[in-house]
Amino acid sequence: MASLQGYVDHRVLLILQDGRAIVGVMAGFDQKSNVVLSDSKERVYSMDEGVEEIPLGLYLVKGDQIVLIGELDDAVDQSVDLSTVRAEPLPPIRY
Amino acid sequence: MDKPKREAILDLAKYVNERIRVKFTGGREVTGVLKGYDQLLNLVLDEVEEQLQTEGELKTRSLGLVVLRGPTVTLLSPVDGWEEIANPFVAQE
Amino acid sequence: MLPLSLLNAAQNKPMLVELKNGETFNGHLINCDNFMNITLREVYQTSAEGDRFWKLKECYIRGSTIKYLRVPDTLLDAVKEEQNRAREAGRSARGAHVSGAGARGRGMPTRGGRGMVRGAPARGGRGRGRGA
Repeated sequence: MASLQGYVDHRVLLILQDGRAIVGVMAGFDQKSNVVLSDSKERVYSMDEGVEEIPLGLYLVKGDQIVLIGELDDAVDQSVDLSTVRAEPLPPIRY
Repeated sequence: MDKPKREAILDLAKYVNERIRVKFTGGREVTGVLKGYDQLLNLVLDEVEEQLQTEGELKTRSLGLVVLRGPTVTLLSPVDGWEEIANPFVAQE
Repeated sequence: MLPLSLLNAAQNKPMLVELKNGETFNGHLINCDNFMNITLREVYQTSAEGDRFWKLKECYIRGSTIKYLRVPDTLLDAVKEEQNRAREAGRSARGAHVSGAGARGRGMPTRGGRGMVRGAPARGGRGRGRGA
């Protein structure tokens, strides 16, 4: 069975239902997929400028708002120059 | 850190006969005088006024004596001590 | 660490709560329960658009309507410290017997925890008959 245990203490990318992308260290989780994210930063993508990283600190995110949790490869992530990235921001989910 | 189970974190007894504001899933908002409640947060409110959305919130409609279903309640707060204010966050960003 | 443990440890601390409808509430946590329903005091509410503000003495917020909570960074270390201390105390008080309660703080509620599928071990058969 899939478990989030493997991601604990790793840097992850969280995508929320409102389209937000947040990276942070996953400090904990529970059976409802509520997640504790420490040292988190929101990455705001835009077609006109580079990625803006907003530091957010310690976050408790409700599981029902999470779309995706991806484990980041720190080496790859460090090598990306965010100021050169251009992308459309993700739209929120519409049911 | 053991808390007694099934003890509600909100003691509604202190709001009985006071006007409270209740918001619901779907966006509706009302104020009314609390007359009764239960553990599920079903509420009995009297002299209820619904704050209608749009047009700057100046419109309200009277609903009288109402039973409100607990499962749809999203927020509850006393009207006493609720006031609109200017931006309290100085120099954000 | 369990999200609810973090929340319980945040009592009396300031926090920011964003609801699914985009409104935000800044206040001090009075209490919380297992559904993540919370009560806050000295609350500053901001509308979803960010243009209107209210001050509330106190409010109760349903857990199901919360999108996320932001808490002070220092809380994480404080809770870990607390859990370590509790573990040390438990260990010395009970001697060699490690009780099941000790493992619960780790974010791995694998025994009979909520949400676990009950009585339907369809894969790899935990003793139930296969081949039906």
